[in-house]
Amino acid sequence: MLKFALKNMAIKKVQVILIIVSIIISASVGVLAFNISSQVSDGITNNAGYYSLIVGPAGSKTQLAMNTMYFTEEPLGTIPYSVYTELKNNDKVVKAIPYAMADNYNGNSVVGTTPAFLEGKELSDGALFAENKTCQAVVGARVAKENGLKVGDTIHTSHSAIEGDKHEKGIVVVGILEESYTSFDRVVFTQIETLWEMHEHEGDEGDGHDHDSHGVCAILINTLNPTYAVQLASEYDGKIITHDEEAFTLQAVEPMEVVRGVLDEADDTKYIVFVLCAIILIMNIIVISIITLLNMYHSAKEISLMRLIGISMKKINLLYLIQNSLIGLVSTLLAFGASRLCLIFMSDYVSSMGVVLDIGKVYLPEILILLGIFLISVIPTIICTFVMAKRDSLAE
Amino acid sequence: MIKIIGVSKKFKNETAIDYKDMTFESGKSYILLGASGCGKSTLLNMIAGILSPEKGSIEIDGKDMAAASQKEKDLFRIKNIGYIFQDFKLITEMTVMDNINILKLEGVDTSKAESVLESLDMLDKKNKKVKNLSGGERQRVAIARAIVKSPDIILADEPTGNLNFAIGEAVIKQLTEISKGKTLIAVTHDDRLCKYFDYVIDMNEMTGGRYDA
Repeated sequence: MLKFALKNMAIKKVQVILIIVSIIISASVGVLAFNISSQVSDGITNNAGYYSLIVGPAGSKTQLAMNTMYFTEEPLGTIPYSVYTELKNNDKVVKAIPYAMADNYNGNSVVGTTPAFLEGKELSDGALFAENKTCQAVVGARVAKENGLKVGDTIHTSHSAIEGDKHEKGIVVVGILEESYTSFDRVVFTQIETLWEMHEHEGDEGDGHDHDSHGVCAILINTLNPTYAVQLASEYDGKIITHDEEAFTLQAVEPMEVVRGVLDEADDTKYIVFVLCAIILIMNIIVISIITLLNMYHSAKEISLMRLIGISMKKINLLYLIQNSLIGLVSTLLAFGASRLCLIFMSDYVSSMGVVLDIGKVYLPEILILLGIFLISVIPTIICTFVMAKRDSLAE
Repeated sequence: MIKIIGVSKKFKNETAIDYKDMTFESGKSYILLGASGCGKSTLLNMIAGILSPEKGSIEIDGKDMAAASQKEKDLFRIKNIGYIFQDFKLITEMTVMDNINILKLEGVDTSKAESVLESLDMLDKKNKKVKNLSGGERQRVAIARAIVKSPDIILADEPTGNLNFAIGEAVIKQLTEISKGKTLIAVTHDDRLCKYFDYVIDMNEMTGGRYDA
């Protein structure tokens, strides 16, 4: 039966290929739309969950969170380094990382921090910059690729895009990050002291900084437990400190909350995506049903022929069920493959949002969509053959 | 033995045909002659269980097939009847062997296919697509499919209808040769082929012709 079904499909290969292609297109678009919207949403939330608290200058919570997590937008300003020292020594804090953003290298942001900020990131070459030295940099993969940088090269950062505005003092590339398709690929990371040196000690070779006289844009914090994060947030949010006779108002944000807020505000966009997914699915149902019905209609002559030579309707039903199940199965599997292929191509675009698309990530609704499409391609066959069996063509 | 007793067939356009009683003995060959529309093909279709009469019985070896269910008729046809259709009823995009092997769907043993094709001088064309065969060759494929299962009854509806006389005569010769010992009932309007059959039935005399029901 299977052999004959395959032969019967082979003689209608153009028709079969067209059916498969149309199912692949409609099914993969539905699956892809769902997968990307889910992965982007999950990815943004997960990235936000890496740190429990961010302390920075008062201002937009979103700007502070987005600047420190995705290197987007401008920093809000600075807060005294002493806040970092205070938090680092707090018993509730497991890890505190200073963060500053200033200058650029050929349009790529320059971030001053400690090696702990790059913990867990893989290097394609070299090593992380040393904590007790200055003017060393680890560059993102894209920065290295686009500027032809290798370990040992010296780069000159600048205040602005104006030619000749570059700092005289160079920074030596000591490491290159493995490409991660995230915003890390487009950033130059260096010791925070390097940034201070560039701005206040231009031309000096000194490496002994009076840290407390400097500022940081933010402090990324991990606490011993989530309760401590809430306690520290209420302690530092709105706190006013005085440094060198200047008053600084702090704010403390929980990045996860900020991102959730952003995503909630983007609820309309989410709604549009789901409406589009629903429309695509309804179109899938209509297109696939029509194709299957047309296929069965064109097979009516063949069915009549088989009935005349004595093949029972039961066997004919089974034959067409096998054929359409094979078409449905192959189409849904290929649609799944096509959606993963599209994920690879879309990865670059989505990485600008700081999210790495996981090709292997499969959501339950995706399986349900594919299962639904498989059933849509088979159910009309069952209905048609049932109707044909009831109205046996032999009698006509 | 096939007995046609008091059979009448009504059509959708409200015309009807009444058949006189007939008996076809096992192992003999019959040729049904008659004008178009006199009910020759309808009789074959009723014997094959494709059509059902409105009244009367069609007894095959003592069993009234007219009263049997469609499922029983289908089963009987696939096992015991080899039907050669006027328009061949072949899947033209498939090969000769595929058209014969289609019977495997109903569990028919087609292992004799090659020897049957050889007896019809068609073995060298077994892997050719039917669409690439001539009319005479297609007719031979239809014959091969009908007799490969060694049926007790062979029904042939205008087996030479699409062929010129020379080719048609050759096909009939082969058909009667290969059907020896089986009941062969062939419908034709060409009386030159009568010499190859045991009995000739003039269907104009066996039916009252078509009339308004």
